[in-house]
Amino acid sequence: MVVAALLAFGVGMELTSVVGTLVGSTVYARLHFTGPASTFTPMALAVAVAIHYGPFSQAGIKSVIVAVLIITLGPALVHATARAARVRERGQLE
Amino acid sequence: MTSYYLIAAAVLLAQIGPLIVFSVRASPQDGLVALNVGGDITTLVLVLLAAGTGREPFFDLAIVSAVLSFAGSLAYARFLERWL
Repeated sequence: MVVAALLAFGVGMELTSVVGTLVGSTVYARLHFTGPASTFTPMALAVAVAIHYGPFSQAGIKSVIVAVLIITLGPALVHATARAARVRERGQLE
Repeated sequence: MTSYYLIAAAVLLAQIGPLIVFSVRASPQDGLVALNVGGDITTLVLVLLAAGTGREPFFDLAIVSAVLSFAGSLAYARFLERWL
């Protein structure tokens, strides 16, 4: 039951991100909505897999690795995207 | 229990469709945002499929997808900034 709730929470957060990405007014507003997709969802899914298969099983460890990768690399990607959008708009970063 | 993973994977996979349509029709920088979200979704779908089918070595695909989707989106952002 806990696993199903975590999966539903993760999918719901991802759905929120997708809707926010589609309806955002500017590229910067859309970037805000990538947050739940790169934090809450991988965390919830990794915890669900770790509970189901065991935290020290192959599945549990690898799902946690995937979640850590997405959570740590996501902000760098958001920064690079915002930087590219600003340079395209203004011709320079400053 | 494993059917929950497959249902969640199907729901996540269905969310890629609107993102593909959006990234085709929107401006390049908006499409890049959709690409970022789509990369996360693809990686998480691979995790859910591996968990749902019970084939634990398939989790390696999700790890590779997490790294490569980041690298691909980063390269696209740099090209968008300079040349595209």
